[in-house]
Amino acid sequence: MTVVVLEEDSTITMATARAPTASDSTHSDNSSSNPSGGGAEGGGDDVPDNSNFECNICLDTAKDAVISMCGHLFCWPCLHQWLETRPNHQTCPVCKAAISRDKVIPLYGRGSGNQQDPRDKLPPRPSGQRTEPEPQGGFMPGLGLGEAGGFQFHFGIGAFPFGIFTTFNNWGGAAAVPPAPGTQQYQEERFLSQVLMAMGLLFLFWLIFV
Amino acid sequence: MSLLKEPPPGVTVDVDQAHTKLTEWVVHMEGASGTLYEGEKFQLQFKFSPKYPFDSPEVIFVGEHIPIHPHIYSNGHICLSILTEDWSPALSVQAICLSIISMLSSCKEKKRPPDNSYYVKTCSANPKKTKWWYHDDTV
Repeated sequence: MTVVVLEEDSTITMATARAPTASDSTHSDNSSSNPSGGGAEGGGDDVPDNSNFECNICLDTAKDAVISMCGHLFCWPCLHQWLETRPNHQTCPVCKAAISRDKVIPLYGRGSGNQQDPRDKLPPRPSGQRTEPEPQGGFMPGLGLGEAGGFQFHFGIGAFPFGIFTTFNNWGGAAAVPPAPGTQQYQEERFLSQVLMAMGLLFLFWLIFV
Repeated sequence: MSLLKEPPPGVTVDVDQAHTKLTEWVVHMEGASGTLYEGEKFQLQFKFSPKYPFDSPEVIFVGEHIPIHPHIYSNGHICLSILTEDWSPALSVQAICLSIISMLSSCKEKKRPPDNSYYVKTCSANPKKTKWWYHDDTV
């Protein structure tokens, strides 16, 4: 939507000193919903200043807006296209800070209306990250005995060279919290404990029958 | 818009030219006052590819008067990193003009690049096809 309009006083009155085709390819699908799109052509002075919410690449009001960790606003399609251009050297177009797909935050405004899930659009916009709040401090936090998993007891066969199997450890402490079921770490730990159990049983049979 | 409303001093866009062909602009600029280029007038030609702004425009000096500068070849090609590898889609024509005026203004001695005659004979017409080596931050 970067049209150059010539007025009587021979000044170019479109959004910027920017050549055509800046956004034609990236925004063909949503030009109708751009609140400032139609109005800007009448001349800059009577249009409210929306420049705070302009994409730094296409200079239109940002659509499917994302913001970088360095605080710069872009349309996700614009930024995605830029990141694709230089996959090995992804920098913020404004300040050249290192950025990446995982380091931008989507902005969801209230006025976006019947917006479909932006992740269904192409190119997909990265989803928001939501960090759980800090837990409110459990029962006897110093010892950790009141919390599940605060006390762990490992037992193995105690014959001399294999004494390493006998471990008593983790009397409380933060490191003893078991991984949540379903995570990869949980699966790995379960696998490891099954292997150790099998080794212990084999050793037991060997002691008895040999 | 910002280029026309608040251009760097001495910079004007040739609107008629831009109107006939949107992808080719000519910008008139004057050397900043108080510098070696004070009072001199230059024309910069911008060519925008279909990939703009994700690809940098092709920017060269055109016309009779090419500034004499250690980073500007006599055929108008400019050795300036933001025109190739340091390009950013957030840069505007205004920003490029300002960079070039700044580059001119910080010049201490008017001279051509040391490899000027060789480069001008062998280079492509498109400066973006040159593999530039950016090594001098002082000018």
